[in-house]
Amino acid sequence: MTEEKKLTEKESLEIITSMITRAKCAYDETGVSALMWGIIVVFCSLVTFFNDYLHWQWLNYVWLLTAAAVIPQVVIAIRERRRRRYKSYDSVTMSAIWISFGVGLLLFSYFAGLYNVPHAESVYLMFYGIPTFTTGMMTNFKPMTWGGIACWVICIISFYVHFPDTMLLTAIAAIIAWFIPGLMLRAKYLQLKKENV
Amino acid sequence: MFKDLDPILHSQLRLAVISLLISLKEAEFTYIREETNATAGNLSVQINKLKEAGYIEVIKQFKDNYPQTICRITTAGFKAFEDYVKSLQTYLSVKK
Repeated sequence: MTEEKKLTEKESLEIITSMITRAKCAYDETGVSALMWGIIVVFCSLVTFFNDYLHWQWLNYVWLLTAAAVIPQVVIAIRERRRRRYKSYDSVTMSAIWISFGVGLLLFSYFAGLYNVPHAESVYLMFYGIPTFTTGMMTNFKPMTWGGIACWVICIISFYVHFPDTMLLTAIAAIIAWFIPGLMLRAKYLQLKKENV
Repeated sequence: MFKDLDPILHSQLRLAVISLLISLKEAEFTYIREETNATAGNLSVQINKLKEAGYIEVIKQFKDNYPQTICRITTAGFKAFEDYVKSLQTYLSVKK
């Protein structure tokens, strides 16, 4: 792009449109976080489901893995932030939404543990849908939008299902909401990386 | 009467920079250079002009021991861009 060129009004408008579109397409999610959380939630749900038959005491603590996973998540977030050469308003909003989700989940887990909340799994599914749906809508990434909707549909179904079958539903929700979109984002990211080499 | 188009913004590269920054919270110099296909020297000159006009804020810092230049649009930059687009719309609607 050269500086000296005299611009017409039409050219000005074209430059504005083209640069705004470029900035809008700047979303370059690696998919690692979605994949990681998808795998962890599926694993914990299936372990809880099978443990209802196995009755191994120590497996009751499997969900502590989600708390431990916050550490690699923070590392991933820091690395991704350092890698990015721009900061969009959307990325700031999304970080705020996912942090709020994490805090909300933590507080709910605490109260659910204290007061033995009925249908807690359904409430978790409702929670899962909120940031997933929002992320999908904000980034125009339809698999995640549908993933969020799937969480809410599964949440309704889970009201009519008893434990441990609700754990199977949680695993299905995590596959649809995070694992599959995570795989797609990863494939897209790797493809773009290959093209830019 | 038509309002004159802001001469600071009515230039190919400066307009591209402002249009890019309007949608982002901030961006690194290298990112802006890639997106605008400009040379480092030319971009540097135009960024300085935008900075002198008070339209963008330029932050120079170090990242992993390498110098890093971050650009961010200011409130005056937002206002100037809005006015520029409004003037442009007036011109275009009359020309139709």
